[in-house]
Amino acid sequence: MPKQTEKERLDLLQGTLDMLILRTLQWGPQHGHGIGQAIRTQSDDLLKIETGSLYPALHRLVKRGWLKPEWGVSEANQKAKYYQLTAAGKAQLVREQNRWAQMVHAIGRIMNPVENKE
Amino acid sequence: MRPDERELDDEIRGHLALSVQDRIERGQDPAAARRDALAELGYVGDLRESIRRVWYSRAFDAVTALGRDLRFALRSLSRSRGFSLTVVLTLALGIGANAAIFSVVRAVLLRPLVNRDEDRLIYIRQSAPGIGQADMTFSVPEVQDLTSQASTIAAFGDFSTVDFALTGLHEEPRIVHAGVVSGSFFDVMGLRPVLGRLITAQDDGPNAAGVAVLTYRFWTTTLNSDPHVVGKAIRLGQRTATIVGVLEPSIPYPADTELIANIVTSPHHMGALMRTNRSHRMTELFGRLKPGVTLEQARADLTAAHAAMLKAHAESYSARAHVQLSVTRLRDQIVSPARTVLLVLLAAAAVVFLIAVSNVANLILARSVRREGELAIRAALGAGTAALRRTLLAESLVLCCLGALFGVLLAQPFVTLVARYAARFSVRAVGITVDSSVVWVGAALALAAALLLAFVPRLPSAKSPAGLGVPTGSISMTPATRRRLRVFATSQIAFSFVLLAGAGMLVTTLVRMQETRTGYDLRRVVVFDVPLSAPAATDPKTLEFFKEAMRRVAQLPGVRGVSIAMTAPWRDAGAIPLMQVTAEGYSPENGEENPHAKFRIVAPGLFDVLGVPLIAGRDFSDRDVDGSEPVVIISESVARRFFGTGEAVNRRIVWTDPLARMMGPARPQRIVGVVADVDDENVVPSQTMAVYRPVAQMGIAERLFVRVDGDPHSVIAPVTRIIRDLSPEQPVERAATLEEIRSQLLAPERVNAFVISGFAGIALLIAVVGVAGVLAFSVSARTREFGVRLAIGSDPRDLLRRVLSEGARIAIVGILAGAAGGYLIGRVAARFFVDAQVPGALPAVAAAAVLVAAALTVSLVPAARASHVDVLQALRTE
Repeated sequence: MPKQTEKERLDLLQGTLDMLILRTLQWGPQHGHGIGQAIRTQSDDLLKIETGSLYPALHRLVKRGWLKPEWGVSEANQKAKYYQLTAAGKAQLVREQNRWAQMVHAIGRIMNPVENKE
Repeated sequence: MRPDERELDDEIRGHLALSVQDRIERGQDPAAARRDALAELGYVGDLRESIRRVWYSRAFDAVTALGRDLRFALRSLSRSRGFSLTVVLTLALGIGANAAIFSVVRAVLLRPLVNRDEDRLIYIRQSAPGIGQADMTFSVPEVQDLTSQASTIAAFGDFSTVDFALTGLHEEPRIVHAGVVSGSFFDVMGLRPVLGRLITAQDDGPNAAGVAVLTYRFWTTTLNSDPHVVGKAIRLGQRTATIVGVLEPSIPYPADTELIANIVTSPHHMGALMRTNRSHRMTELFGRLKPGVTLEQARADLTAAHAAMLKAHAESYSARAHVQLSVTRLRDQIVSPARTVLLVLLAAAAVVFLIAVSNVANLILARSVRREGELAIRAALGAGTAALRRTLLAESLVLCCLGALFGVLLAQPFVTLVARYAARFSVRAVGITVDSSVVWVGAALALAAALLLAFVPRLPSAKSPAGLGVPTGSISMTPATRRRLRVFATSQIAFSFVLLAGAGMLVTTLVRMQETRTGYDLRRVVVFDVPLSAPAATDPKTLEFFKEAMRRVAQLPGVRGVSIAMTAPWRDAGAIPLMQVTAEGYSPENGEENPHAKFRIVAPGLFDVLGVPLIAGRDFSDRDVDGSEPVVIISESVARRFFGTGEAVNRRIVWTDPLARMMGPARPQRIVGVVADVDDENVVPSQTMAVYRPVAQMGIAERLFVRVDGDPHSVIAPVTRIIRDLSPEQPVERAATLEEIRSQLLAPERVNAFVISGFAGIALLIAVVGVAGVLAFSVSARTREFGVRLAIGSDPRDLLRRVLSEGARIAIVGILAGAAGGYLIGRVAARFFVDAQVPGALPAVAAAAVLVAAALTVSLVPAARASHVDVLQALRTE
């Protein structure tokens, strides 16, 4: 995969990082590394979230009250900070999903003649 | 919720561990896993920083850093207490003076009036510069002409003052100063009552009931804010009135009165003279601009109306008088006398502040040179220029804030002092207290000083060679630093010189005024006001009453003479009419008019009592009564004007003034005596012509003069008792010696000189400390040099001379710079102060001498130290 296109894709997705994090945490609490890995695997290795983006995003979401941090221990007995969706976070996820669907729809209509440029 | 620094580290460490574990589980060997995980993480510092930023803003970080610097500054300053104390006190003086002056300036010049829509309120004044009348007020016909013509004014308010004998509020009758207004006045002025109501249109007209409104000051001070005062019936002279309300606190302009009554309460205002005579002027006029009308439009409109009036009644206005109209905003009118004085004070305060800051800059500069070692070490350890600057800023912030704190505390008594002073120029200054603006001014000045001072010291850069000499701990001074120190010290001297010379001039002027000969025997004469009510003033029996009173007073022990006159010196300044007069056989030269002379009414014996010498002829006597031949006594200058060196006695004068003609046909009056000229209206006497008439032929006299041997105050009580015995309702007031009256008149000048001298004193103190500091520092920096000089055989006295001459040089250069600057300021100031009296060069020379002497005196200490340097000690210092 050429580096250039990957970068472009990531830029596009940056704004939706918050949404991805919230979505990932829908299945239960997870630590930062786990979240990054989950997004990566679920996107078939297409989305690699840099730690430099991931952690500030996590803290931003905590600050907004959408996530709740809690120290815990991983399966491999490693001390780690786990993030958990709050009620407000769940509501936010619904909002972001709707917004995303609208945006995809809108972009799709503009891009209609050239479908799925991937 | 907000994670602390440790938690951030823990989280990143946890992430790294998980990442490594993950990689090992996927089959990488531990070393490679760790390497890759770290590579993925990138620079941990950046990551940590970007997470921190979510929680901690840059401002927060800056404040934290500043807090750290401040703690450090406090510690380091507490180690050099003498330095800190000097700096804080110097700044406190500078800031305190400024804060106080500024709060007075704000209160007097900038604060709006309480009146509704005060920017539409104007004051209209008629003046006659041609005959020296700055405020000739208006007569009722004039007011009618103007108000009927003007189209830009929504409404006019008129105000005149009358003294009433008030009965009904106090046990004894008392004379009150009262305003008399028509119903529109309060509405035009935009004032509200705090109690009851004010005077309105329903109180106008001859059939209205008498009503009075109390001023706030009178109500609170003399009536203890009695809430039941509204509705009380009082007597004002012969008329009755009801108190209908109390006025809100407002600036009493044009006159401070006890109460304000409607027109019907004053028989004089209802009389024909007041209502119909165009030259009978006693009304002040105010107006409220129509909405949207500018001051200029109103001025043009009113001036046109006034010009039309002058034209229509040309016979009533002499061309020579140059009667004219001025229209000003009421606020400006009230404020204007105080403006220049306050701005001068503000400038003086600013100069003191500059001196203080420059002195502090000096101290800080010297200190920073001593600290060069410390700063160099910190620079070497990696502190950037910004960090070092911040350290210095923190230190000067601590110093300046402490200075401001003490300065604001100092401002409290200062404001009281300046306000009492300013109250003599502007009624707005009455009751000024320290307002919160003082704190802000103090804070702003402190901040300005702090910023300024933080940039005074040079910073050692890590590269500079100065850094290398550090560990020896010696003081080395670069020529640049020395130059800076000298420039500061010199400019302090320059500023102090300006202030000192200015103060010297004020003091000289004051002394000159105080020493001016007045022609009176000031210490031995007591004057009493014996104000007559309107009916008493025209009652022939009043003269009998005074005769009897004088007879009894004369028998009191210690009394050398007693007499009466119409006016008291200085206190009644401006009340003496100036009237045109001529003499039989005298014709003015071409182009000249008959002279104007002060028309004074005195009783026999007054000249004796006052100590005014009789030059020719005789004094009035008891035979000069109503019905006998009308006689006058003239002053020396009148005699010279009419008769040159010829004999004046037994010649005749004739009043030609329109006002005199109104009182009756002009009959020649025989001159029976000539007395020396006196001017008891102005502080600095000018030549004044006066014509005296005997009380018995005029029938008015309200001032009792008693000449006393010994303590003049001892007669006050017995004289008051004698008059009360004769007429229980007759007020006797304001007893004072002539000296006291005159010194009251000089009070503004005295306070003026006092305040400026205070500033100059502070400036001198600071500047001298500055010079001493510079020399002391320069000596201590050159200890080694002096040691070497002594070692190779220099005369210690030579070193002494060197240091002294350095001090003298700073002083002299400073004085020259100050003189040049002061001369320029003087030139500019002369344009604004019309009556600026420059009392010659003496004060300036004296100021220069004081400065040089002070500078040399304080230079003696460091100079002595230089000449007593211990040679061995000095050579060992490096």
